Amino acid sequence: MSAVTDQFAVPSAPVRKTPMGTFDLVFRNASLLAALFVLVLLAGIMVSMVVGGWPAFREFGLGFITSSVWDTQNEQYGAWPAIVGTLSTALIALVVGVPLSLGIAVFLTQLAPPWFKQPVSTAIELLAAVPSIIYGMWGLFVFAPLFAAYVQIPLSSLVEGMPIVGTILYSRSPSGLGILSAGIILAFMIIPFIASITRDMLDQIPSVLRESAYGIGATTWEVVRHVLVPQAGVSIIGAIMLGLGRALGETMAVTFVVGNANRLSASVMDPGSTIASRIANEFNEALGLQLNALIALGCILFFVTFVVLVIARLLVARVKRY
Amino acid sequence: MLSTLELSPQTLDAEAPVRIAVKNLDFYYGEHKALKNINLDFRDRHVTALIGPSGCGKSTLLRIFNRIYSLYPEQKATGEILLDGRNIISNNVDVNELRSRIGMVFQKPTPFPMSIYDNVAFGIRLYEKPPKSELDDRVEGALRRAALWDEVKDKLKSSGMGLSGGQQQRLCIARTIAQKPEVILFDEPTSALDPISTGKIEDLLEQLKSDFTIVIVTHNMQQAARISQYTAFMYLGEVIEFDATNTIFMNPHKKQTQDYVTGRFG
Repeated sequence: MSAVTDQFAVPSAPVRKTPMGTFDLVFRNASLLAALFVLVLLAGIMVSMVVGGWPAFREFGLGFITSSVWDTQNEQYGAWPAIVGTLSTALIALVVGVPLSLGIAVFLTQLAPPWFKQPVSTAIELLAAVPSIIYGMWGLFVFAPLFAAYVQIPLSSLVEGMPIVGTILYSRSPSGLGILSAGIILAFMIIPFIASITRDMLDQIPSVLRESAYGIGATTWEVVRHVLVPQAGVSIIGAIMLGLGRALGETMAVTFVVGNANRLSASVMDPGSTIASRIANEFNEALGLQLNALIALGCILFFVTFVVLVIARLLVARVKRY
Repeated sequence: MLSTLELSPQTLDAEAPVRIAVKNLDFYYGEHKALKNINLDFRDRHVTALIGPSGCGKSTLLRIFNRIYSLYPEQKATGEILLDGRNIISNNVDVNELRSRIGMVFQKPTPFPMSIYDNVAFGIRLYEKPPKSELDDRVEGALRRAALWDEVKDKLKSSGMGLSGGQQQRLCIARTIAQKPEVILFDEPTSALDPISTGKIEDLLEQLKSDFTIVIVTHNMQQAARISQYTAFMYLGEVIEFDATNTIFMNPHKKQTQDYVTGRFG
């Protein structure tokens, strides 16, 4: 009887115990701390920006954003020219950079022969790795003189007296420095980002979709225009926003070529300043309310770029899956 | 021998003209020779099935007919494929125009990122500029033929991506027939679909063969037996046997064909 029972009894499994690993515990907490550190850091920056900028916001109120005065003698500060400069240089960068980036991405994914694809892809990655100070120096010493001699001077004499373009494109002092120059340098800097993300998005589209678009007799242009770009759609906008985020916050390169004048001009050829270039120029000597005003400027920039980046991340994350 | 297979009624017309004639066709992926000396005739307004185990070259062959392989520079075909007497793999063929005459439906549904209406109208607009009312009629006609009209007529403006898999595949068929091609190529059109959607597509193929020459690649032998009049059995890049579907499935001449259709390998 007992033999029969034994025969069908489940053999008792050896007792297994999860070893109480102290290393496991340490590892878990250490990685938690590392993650928390990022949050603390971000919160710390936010708080110190707001606290540091608060006196300026309290002193000038909404006028800090709308006023164009930046007078260190009389302690009057307004951010408007810098805000306009930041937005207009970034806008120019997008207008110049986005078509070029899309062209690069489409060429690389759809048209380039394989032997050409790799060198261009690598060149784009390298372009992204060029430090911004290099762009700034190159912009100041190489680009600006050429831009003055071959664009600003001929263009000014061409458009002089014309309505609207005569104002927008006329340069009073053709030095090669100004809002447009800064925008173009920024365009060079954001092209690698937008081009490489867009290229990845286009590469992710399943080849069967591309084949079926060609399969009903569409030309390459029609396939790209009507099928591939709309398919990658929102993600491409996300890539553009990422580029915009970089253009808004870029400091060194812009400081070199923007001209650093606190004035609003209707001409994109005139010198101006951006939030980042203003801060970089004045931080060394700033005291008291001027320092608060600069930090408040930083606050505004932080807020704008933060919003742009959040939107960009959300859009890029929405890659359509097939 | 094959009691489990229901065979299509004998409707084949041995006198039907040859629409596509493949002569001494070789195909290369780079250095690899994927198709060896293919010779096949595809008859007008008949369904010809290409069957064979994975990797036998049946999809490769299908992709030559509309020159999709030309998108990939390392792929090349030699020999002749005559469509109405013209060699379509020669270099001086207008590939885009050819593709509008030889439509293709793929393994996976591939709706374009646009509205249902535009999906169907897209192909028409590429080569013709019909007035709006005629375009509307052709879109409706194509959707009706693809047995999709009743399901989508109230939402023509919404995205084609929002349809179910089976509906998307019928949308792709509508898009293809709206162009009024002469030949339609089907590359395992039901392999990603459920049985009900598969049934609908098979019914559709039955309807379409009165107007189009159809070539279909399928893994599913019952499907080949149900819908085709001619079948080519391929193995390792060669056509082993090509004959009327009933002969291939009931009375094959080659041992390999018999082994494959009875499920002994493949």
